[in-house]
Amino acid sequence: MQKGLIQFSDVCLDYRLYRDRSVSIMETFMNVFGRKTSRDWFRALDHASFQISPGESVALVGSNGAGKSTTLKLLAGIYSPTSGKVGTSGRIASLLDLGVGFHPELTGAENIFLNGALLGFDQKRMLELLPGIAEFSMLERFMDTPVKYYSSGMFMRLGFALATSVDPDILLIDEVLAVGDAAFQAKCYDRIFGFRESGKTIVFVSHDPEAVRRLCTRAIWLDSGRVRMNGPVDDVLGAYLNASAGRLQNTAASAAPREWGNREVFFSRVTLTDGNGVPTRTFRQGDTVKVNALIETREGREVKNIILGFSIHRPDGETVLASNNLENGEPLLEINGSGEGYIYITPEIIEPGNYLLSISLTGNSTDYHWQDNFYPISLLGKKQMPPLRINSLRVAGSVDKEPV
Amino acid sequence: MTGGLLLMKSLVEKDLKVRYKRSFLGFLWFLLKPLFSMVVYTIVFTRIIKFGGAIEHFSLFLLTGLLPWNFFAASLSASTKILLENQKLIRSIYFPRVALPISSVIANAIHMLMAMGVLEILLIAFGHTPNLSIVTLPIAVILLAAMTSGFSMMISIGNVYYRDVSQFLEVILLAWFYASPVIYPLGTGIISGKMEAVIKFNPVAGAMEIFHSTMYYGTWPELWAWISLVAWTIVILTAGLLIFKRMEPSVVKEL
Repeated sequence: MQKGLIQFSDVCLDYRLYRDRSVSIMETFMNVFGRKTSRDWFRALDHASFQISPGESVALVGSNGAGKSTTLKLLAGIYSPTSGKVGTSGRIASLLDLGVGFHPELTGAENIFLNGALLGFDQKRMLELLPGIAEFSMLERFMDTPVKYYSSGMFMRLGFALATSVDPDILLIDEVLAVGDAAFQAKCYDRIFGFRESGKTIVFVSHDPEAVRRLCTRAIWLDSGRVRMNGPVDDVLGAYLNASAGRLQNTAASAAPREWGNREVFFSRVTLTDGNGVPTRTFRQGDTVKVNALIETREGREVKNIILGFSIHRPDGETVLASNNLENGEPLLEINGSGEGYIYITPEIIEPGNYLLSISLTGNSTDYHWQDNFYPISLLGKKQMPPLRINSLRVAGSVDKEPV
Repeated sequence: MTGGLLLMKSLVEKDLKVRYKRSFLGFLWFLLKPLFSMVVYTIVFTRIIKFGGAIEHFSLFLLTGLLPWNFFAASLSASTKILLENQKLIRSIYFPRVALPISSVIANAIHMLMAMGVLEILLIAFGHTPNLSIVTLPIAVILLAAMTSGFSMMISIGNVYYRDVSQFLEVILLAWFYASPVIYPLGTGIISGKMEAVIKFNPVAGAMEIFHSTMYYGTWPELWAWISLVAWTIVILTAGLLIFKRMEPSVVKEL
């Protein structure tokens, strides 16, 4: 087989489902004696077939649970198919979960050797790769520090540098790629595009249409474990986005507006304005989203220590940004009868598009009032590089409370 | 060096490096634990139940059995956790997972060997000079480690499906300990002949007998001990490898 080739023929993969994962011997006995058999199977992939030629960059798209990550795990050799055949040739680098093989007590360099062994490289080869990994991750000074003292960003950087240092023929990228700050993301992006230019096969899973368009030429749309569409990236992405937009309107399962709470304290009126106080639902990049909330208490009582929070979600329900006054170290609200609360959000590097804003009033373990996915907002602005920023939004947001 | 061996070596190194981090006495614990149990058993069997008195330097005799037994028991206990502890790794990259139970056993075996070195010096100091049979001891250590790996493979898989396995194992190991010639000698009439016949079928009895003969008594072990050790090792290791290979794909999804 030619290096970099991927063949996925008629692949099925079943998971066993449990209501409670820790099965005890007692339950097995119960089942033996004819009680309820809890053998539920979930078919994550259902006779899926596709082929990827060497040097192609292909995206897997589809909703959550469609089988994208399962497909990557099959390609990486982590899972074996229940039936069908998965064929890959050449060395595979998987960026599924970075730095998992790291042991906290070992130093950066020791972890590199250990991980190299897991990937099948001997000490000598790793010794050659070590300077490159240290340089790329910008951790030269920390190679002899146990990784438990690393920040999560450093940890991820080392993980990325290591996983991509091994000169793969096939690169598997899951979107759980939260790799440090913008500068480092740009480096990661360069490296991944470098792989593409040098004719490596790339399989990319992402919910971000823009990232998919930039990196991939072809896309495979997985739907409930089946290949629903396989073709040029724009065609597939268009069809997929249309279908999911339709579904959002029809069922709106993931991001339906919901409201709950005991309403001891509640939002009685909420307006969204821009930084200048002009009511709007459309914001430019760099604009401030200002939430003005009139807050009242039931029967005019006095309630202290109220946490005012917000979160911003993508249409598929994924949270991109969330905070509250407690987390931001700002004073908690104190409402006597009625008062006002303000939230200022400056979503600097959220990808342009439609979002849903949720706001909440909570106390110490009580939910006063939640308005989940209640306020649709649009963020305008030009699309930015790099694309592989997916989950790693470092957002400058702020929650402010003006004196009541 | 082939990939499998290399991986094993790295995992063993990691195990040895990590185990005693933040532990003041470090490796010494592998020697201290059997020493403490030795003190307890010596008091119990020479002061309370008086059978140990018949054996010269009973505490050294105890230690000779306790070192391999502790290796065996500790490895089995550790194997219940080995797949669960590494589940993130197992679910994120592919590597031969059988290396996990094996490398954990090897790391324990290295500890045992170092402790045995110290013990051998003690034995010689107290006049238990070994004869030529001591050269066969490394073979017994390798076989015991291979058998222990076989058990570890089965237990590590079993515990993923049924967490009862680790609880059950504790009880089993307690009974197993007394059913093995660790703290009592065979062939001296302390145990009745019928019991001895049964005990010889114990998978670890052969190894214990060889340790006692070569290190403590300085004699050639009886033939049955070698036959038992070799046969059980083949059976358990084969079974362990087959079960592990057979169950590996489902275990990965089950974790």
